[in-house]
Amino acid sequence: MNDPASPFAIEMQAVEKSFGRNQVLRGLTLQVKRGSTFAFLGRNAAGKTTAIRMLLGLLHRDDGAIRVLGLDPAREPLALRARIGYLAEDQTMYGWMRVDEILRFVAPFYPTWDHNLALRYVRDFELPLKSKIKHLSKGQNVRLGLVLALAHRPELVILDDPALGLDPIMRKQFNRDLITHLQGEGRTVFYSSHLLYEVEPVADEVTILHDGRIVRQTETESLRRQVKQFILSRQAWETYRADLQLLDHRAEGDRVAVTVENAAQVEQLLAQEGVEHRTVDLNLDEIFEAYVVGRKV
Amino acid sequence: MFIRIEKGSAVPISRQITQQIGMLCASGQLDAGERLPSVRELARELAVNQNTILRVYERLTSAGLLEMRHGQGTFVTPGAKDELIVVHRERLVDELRQIGRQSVALGLSSDELHDLLTIALEQLSAAASPLAADAPREEPTP
Repeated sequence: MNDPASPFAIEMQAVEKSFGRNQVLRGLTLQVKRGSTFAFLGRNAAGKTTAIRMLLGLLHRDDGAIRVLGLDPAREPLALRARIGYLAEDQTMYGWMRVDEILRFVAPFYPTWDHNLALRYVRDFELPLKSKIKHLSKGQNVRLGLVLALAHRPELVILDDPALGLDPIMRKQFNRDLITHLQGEGRTVFYSSHLLYEVEPVADEVTILHDGRIVRQTETESLRRQVKQFILSRQAWETYRADLQLLDHRAEGDRVAVTVENAAQVEQLLAQEGVEHRTVDLNLDEIFEAYVVGRKV
Repeated sequence: MFIRIEKGSAVPISRQITQQIGMLCASGQLDAGERLPSVRELARELAVNQNTILRVYERLTSAGLLEMRHGQGTFVTPGAKDELIVVHRERLVDELRQIGRQSVALGLSSDELHDLLTIALEQLSAAASPLAADAPREEPTP
């Protein structure tokens, strides 16, 4: 993990973290390719923010290894944070400052701060330069947080549920900016969210965090191909259950609905064996649900 | 180019875009030789990952609908309309299979289903013929 030419912007290896008796991360392992947009999904309290705070060196791990842009965040947090743009979930800024004041306040922390770029974002996001932060709306607050996270042209941008306070039009606009200013310029984006459908249009890869570990990391497109529901007879279910990588199953009468994560393989097997069945394509909410609340037995 | 994306649908975004560009070529709204927006432009317009758009263009190119000319952009091929049937064949078979399944569930025979398809096609051609459209006006009002 010490190779500076590593293809990964982020590597987490078997990371553990507990707060008192509450174990939040249980062997979290993931890799984020440089230049990719990586969606980090989980329900509220799944451990997303804990993992993000570790990437920034704001929290220390109990065990495991972390490498961000070739550095260990626990050892070199400041050098690292100068190269990262971070938008916190509940970004709190000094309410008494004006927008133009906070831009000048934050700029000296970053050697690569581009003030013209900051002003352009302020204009694009229609933020009032002379207003006090405490008078901004929730949406404007998120947008100001984004300006502060992006104006130093970071290599890696970490967004903790950025769409949370935005209306649908602003979300789309936000995704557009992400595509133009971040993907278009080859930056790595680590995008945490609890809404799969919100990140699907922009993400190269999707990871689902559940119960302190990764339950799936895959390309966005293959997630849909591989996770499907099959309606089978109870007899067929008993016969082939060993071949199913099961996420969820529900029985009703003599039919069983199974959601699997090896759909292509199962489809082929059922066709080959001539098993009568019905295949159901799932939408992203259903896929997410199968992973986080699915009943396997 | 009007493309609509339904978020959260069971149809993957790349397939939604592929199908709609195909439809635009079929209906002549995208003519042979016409230039499509660049990957970057369309990605921004639709708020969709550039790699997704690139994959769509590549897929349509290998299907013979589009042509990516280096340094010039992406264009609709002269033979795009003919190629479309190939592209949509799979989807049509898919939809017909669903209809077939429903018919079997309802206890219809294969002949009965064929009859229904014939009726549906007749209704379509009747609706499309100019005579049918004029028919109500031909009736003299008492």
